[in-house]
Amino acid sequence: MSMSTPQIAAGIEATLTPVARAASSEASADLARPARPVKVIHPPSFSLSTVFTGLRTLLQYSDLLYTLSLFRLSVRYKQSALGWTWAALQPLALMGIYTVIFTRVTTVATAGIPYPVFVFSGLLPWIFFSSTISNAVQGLVLYPNLLTKMYFPREIIPLSYMIASFTDFCIASVILGGLMVHYKVPLTWHMLYAIPIMLLMAGFAASIALFFSAVQVRFRDVGLAMPFLLQVWMFTVPVVYSLQSVPVKFRGIYLLDPVSGLIDGFRNAVLHGGTPDFRALALCFGVVLASMPLAYGYFKSSEATMADVI
Amino acid sequence: MAISSRQRPPWLTSSETAFFDTSDFAMIDLKFERVSKKYKLPSNGDRPKRWYSRGLGRKSGQMWALRNVSFEVNEGEALGIVGHNGAGKTTIMKILAGITTPTSGEISIRGRLAALVEVSSGFHPELTGCENVYLHGAMLGMRRSEIRKKLESIVEFSGVGRYIEVPVKRYSSGMYVRLGFAIAAHLDPDILLLDEVLAVGDAAFQAKCLERIAELRKSGRTIVFISHDLAAVYRLCDRAILLSHGCILSDGAPRQVIDEYQQMTFADQGDSMDEEIESGIPARCTGIEFSAPESPLGIQTGYPFVARLSYKALRRIPDAVFRISIYWPSGYLCSQLTTESVNGGCQIQPGTGVIEFQCPELPVVAGLYRVDLAIESKGQEIDMRQRCATLRVGPGKIAYGDFYIENAWTLNHTPAVENRAILATGQ
Repeated sequence: MSMSTPQIAAGIEATLTPVARAASSEASADLARPARPVKVIHPPSFSLSTVFTGLRTLLQYSDLLYTLSLFRLSVRYKQSALGWTWAALQPLALMGIYTVIFTRVTTVATAGIPYPVFVFSGLLPWIFFSSTISNAVQGLVLYPNLLTKMYFPREIIPLSYMIASFTDFCIASVILGGLMVHYKVPLTWHMLYAIPIMLLMAGFAASIALFFSAVQVRFRDVGLAMPFLLQVWMFTVPVVYSLQSVPVKFRGIYLLDPVSGLIDGFRNAVLHGGTPDFRALALCFGVVLASMPLAYGYFKSSEATMADVI
Repeated sequence: MAISSRQRPPWLTSSETAFFDTSDFAMIDLKFERVSKKYKLPSNGDRPKRWYSRGLGRKSGQMWALRNVSFEVNEGEALGIVGHNGAGKTTIMKILAGITTPTSGEISIRGRLAALVEVSSGFHPELTGCENVYLHGAMLGMRRSEIRKKLESIVEFSGVGRYIEVPVKRYSSGMYVRLGFAIAAHLDPDILLLDEVLAVGDAAFQAKCLERIAELRKSGRTIVFISHDLAAVYRLCDRAILLSHGCILSDGAPRQVIDEYQQMTFADQGDSMDEEIESGIPARCTGIEFSAPESPLGIQTGYPFVARLSYKALRRIPDAVFRISIYWPSGYLCSQLTTESVNGGCQIQPGTGVIEFQCPELPVVAGLYRVDLAIESKGQEIDMRQRCATLRVGPGKIAYGDFYIENAWTLNHTPAVENRAILATGQ
């Protein structure tokens, strides 16, 4: 027993030596083990760098955003008999109701487009926008455990709702194509303008969703007001009527809401095959560009204490 | 491994060399520098201040969960944090994990950190086990490709088996937690935070978890462990910190810190030893005294030990049994000194007396033990004083584990064959 002790000690020495040698000079230490990132946590401060560090962390968690969006879709239609049909059913039902109201009860100018296609083309971007916001606002407070027990960039929750809504939008777009063929509205290459328009729409929806979901954590009033607010909002944007019905002198103010410009641009590109009104789109672009960093910055600075106040 | 002056780069001043010296052998993985955290406490409930009730004297209070806390954890070290509820343990965890931010101070973290605060909190009930592995893994910061590689091993570890394709809302609570821990156990962090995660699952699974944590420790991971299971802290950690009301009270070897924590706890707990005898109680314990007759350093492992239990009896008790129960820090019974025997107890007369227990050597290892006293008669409890005293045992004879086993040893050495041959030729 006592004889073997020096041997054991020698063995420890032998295993220790390479480590100790590596540690004795900086250069070889770097080779011996991969450099570890050093993270420093400070009290929350409000600066532009919060936005950049936030985006960098978000990028690291991109897999979570993907996974969460994927499961949002699969969870939504689990244990429902109609499943994915729901993505198309909601806009179709609304289309039916508005068609009855705006062709039987009263009429609106649609520049020769059959009303069902006309209203459907407005409903698609609008439903994307409104469902993103209404889901995202409830999303953060729905599972408070996620906020108090784990860390991941919180914006992933509202953003995943946006991606899920966007998938619904894509499914419903196929229906729109079918309707256009049925009502003999010509399909043109100008429809591709819808892509940048929808990207801007997504950017604006994300800003609004981020801002209101962060406020909702502190004041649940937001969640209570949102359904009503969205209902009013829908009638202030050209979904059931066309932009042309708005008096020209109000259009400047009217188009300050990027949603108006974007929905009109979407409809114009898809149904009329026209080039969009670039001046209106530039205005939308400006508003979206300004709102995104503001909303994200607000969200990130409010994220620091979200777990404490939820 | 200090660098000798021969190796010291010439451009370094002596103070920089000193920094060099300390930093190159023990790398610091976690550093808390004067960290404080304040919580606002709304005076009535959780409601935000409403516009119509403003100015009605509703002041919101504040609570400091941490005050000026500073400590460091070296690479490969396992640190235990103990303290009563509300001492600030979980706040430290939440700040480290990034769930909340400090009010002041600075924390540096070197390396990838994983926090296991509540292992299955990220689960979505509608998703299947497999889908939840992907979701929860991603929340813990794993890449999808990484999860795909480890999926089989995670499922095996959890023991969920073929139920992995079933929505987790149909799982038993045990399966739920096991799957959660299995995912967490497959993270590959440099620093691992554990907050009461071991309080889950059945005994077999707990053993598996402990084994896994020990394995991670052996591979050089840094561990911060928060638990009320003091035995687990003692077993797992190299060092411990005692927190109380947001301040660090002590920092040192686990045993010593746990002792201090218990002393703090015992100070305001336990039955008193008043001599008053309530009516109807025929006898009471009136005092307990521990001593070490031969050891100058007090009560020590492996040395003679004497316990004197004094009592007061009002009536004759024909069949009395005295017990001194000694409890582990964890609350389990360690051992008992008792007058109980196969023939029954002893007979006591009205009056006062002292029972003296003499142990030739005390087998329990160093530590602070809680002591219960009891008098029984024919299996009926006459008097019971819970947690009424503490027994402090100092380190005496060298003992590892839970007990000292009195022993003697001899060495019988047989030389190896070639040595014998050499010896033979030499002769």
